[in-house]
Amino acid sequence: MIEVKNVHKKYGRKQVLKDLSFTAKKGEITCLIGINGVGKTTIMKAIMALTPINSGEILIDGEKIRKDSFEKITFIPDTIATLPQMRIDEAFTFMADFYKSWNPQRAEELLQFFKLDPTEKIANLSKGSTAKVNMLLGLALDVDYLLMDEPFSGIDMFSREQIAEVFTSHLIEERGVILTTHEISDIEHLIDKAVLIDNGEVIMEFSVEEVRENEGKSVVDVMREVYRG
Amino acid sequence: MTVKFNNRDPVYVQVIRHFKEQIAKGFFEPGQEVPSRRELANQLKINPNTAQRAYKEMEEQGLIFTEGNMPSCITKDEAVLKSVREELIIEAVDLFLGSIKAINVPLSEVLKLVEKKYEAESGETEESI
Amino acid sequence: MKNYLKLVNFEISRFFKLYLILIGLTIVCQLIGVIRVSKGYMDLAEKVMDKNQLSVSQFIEQYGTFSFQRFVYSEWFLMSIYIGIAMLMIYVFIIWYRDWLGKNSFIYRLLMLPTERITIYFAKLTAIMLLLLGLITLQRLLVLIEIQIVNSIVPADFRTYSYGISNIDIFVLLYPNTFTEFILIYGIGLIFVAVLFTAILFERSYRLKGIFFAIVYGVLSLGVFFAPLLLNGFYPRYFYPLEIILMGIVTSFIVLGSTIWIANHLLKHKIMV
Repeated sequence: MIEVKNVHKKYGRKQVLKDLSFTAKKGEITCLIGINGVGKTTIMKAIMALTPINSGEILIDGEKIRKDSFEKITFIPDTIATLPQMRIDEAFTFMADFYKSWNPQRAEELLQFFKLDPTEKIANLSKGSTAKVNMLLGLALDVDYLLMDEPFSGIDMFSREQIAEVFTSHLIEERGVILTTHEISDIEHLIDKAVLIDNGEVIMEFSVEEVRENEGKSVVDVMREVYRG
Repeated sequence: MTVKFNNRDPVYVQVIRHFKEQIAKGFFEPGQEVPSRRELANQLKINPNTAQRAYKEMEEQGLIFTEGNMPSCITKDEAVLKSVREELIIEAVDLFLGSIKAINVPLSEVLKLVEKKYEAESGETEESI
Repeated sequence: MKNYLKLVNFEISRFFKLYLILIGLTIVCQLIGVIRVSKGYMDLAEKVMDKNQLSVSQFIEQYGTFSFQRFVYSEWFLMSIYIGIAMLMIYVFIIWYRDWLGKNSFIYRLLMLPTERITIYFAKLTAIMLLLLGLITLQRLLVLIEIQIVNSIVPADFRTYSYGISNIDIFVLLYPNTFTEFILIYGIGLIFVAVLFTAILFERSYRLKGIFFAIVYGVLSLGVFFAPLLLNGFYPRYFYPLEIILMGIVTSFIVLGSTIWIANHLLKHKIMV
């Protein structure tokens, strides 16, 4: 389980995260929802120690992040995290070189699923393909937790469908996923938990199916209430 | 299999409903093996946890059964199958009654219309066969 | 340890193409230079001796002999050295900044590697020092070749024997005579680059505020490092030269140790992508 506890972060004059807390369980898909600039990406970076926090703590399976944690958790940012001039297969070699948790069969499988050519230079790929490669590099690691920042943004519908398929497959099963998106209606039926964020705070944290069952509301309905009311 | 889910009813409830419909229509045969939780999630494009929940509920309701380590199957219990069919029919009737109640017509007239329409459509189906 | 070596290899191969170009440029520039300077001298000698009917010794009296220094102080040589130094200095900054800026943010990947983050710092530091060493070695080889070229163009009677290149001031720094001097000079170079790296990390951790921190930190490090000399300036003739050197070694270690500690702290807890 990933626990974010009372995290505060200031950037310049702005209080970016205010006493922010939530949890994400392994085996569940947790979605951070909020408009742009509200702190979603910052939280994910903070979990990965890619940006500092002023106070609070973040625990991954009960521990603070250390170098070995990166074999257990990975982050798929909305930009590609490899050398621009690398080919896809070269990126694979790089990952295999440094990560024990790199799964080459899984990588092959995803390569075929996404219909990508391993000899292509990553810099030459379209936006949709780049997003797929990015996702691939994260999914092919046998990590327990995957953090994905806007995996669907700015991609054509078909690529989006392909990526959404990944969420219902064995590739995600048993793993804990935290993702951010603002295309929530597309993937509502896929997520387990929603965390609504506004102005650096958690407004609501709930199980999506429970709310449907108990209140007959979709996530979008709840959002409307919360953000307008 | 593309089933459209709405976002307001719990997905697992909708999955169970879908199964009941398929059973009532005869697309799922009694004793037929059901897909694994993972396969189901992939087929219906839902969260595997949801598939899990749906199966659990269906097991409890007796719609599916699991023998030991074998894959789960649709129930062979006639009573259950009958009640599923009935349930769906009653639902449809309720819906229908709800729609026409607002329109003030005597029941006999309505039933005659229903019979006429029904025969017309089965006639068409027979011709096309 | 393995990750460190992998990263060093990785950093070097990234720069390799540019490095080869730099080497090529240096070779071409210097070889052309040495030929032109030598020939220039000989052409001048021929012309003057012919026109004024001078003998060799008379010419030498008026125009001086040809020593290797003529080439070393020529723009050909100086240019190639300056370009080399400039490129290396620029790369000290680029080796970090290139991973942040531009379309692809490779820094994400580096910071998410399952290795202590300070390894990245060490790998980049090592890469710079190796590149520097490579250039120095190239230069030493080139000088040997250049001397041969001079000898083949300029006859012995015109030449001043000057194999001791370290007599030429510029070279004292680049061509230390003893191993101790080598360690001293490259040690200082290493500390200098290390402090620069930490300054860069300050900027990357605190952005605008960071530049300020970086400058303060840089000045502080310089101060500590040169403290023995400053001390000696205030109290001349009080300290033995050996004591000053020992103090210098101590301050070097202090500066190096603290720079690495700070870099480690910044990379682990303060860095921002």
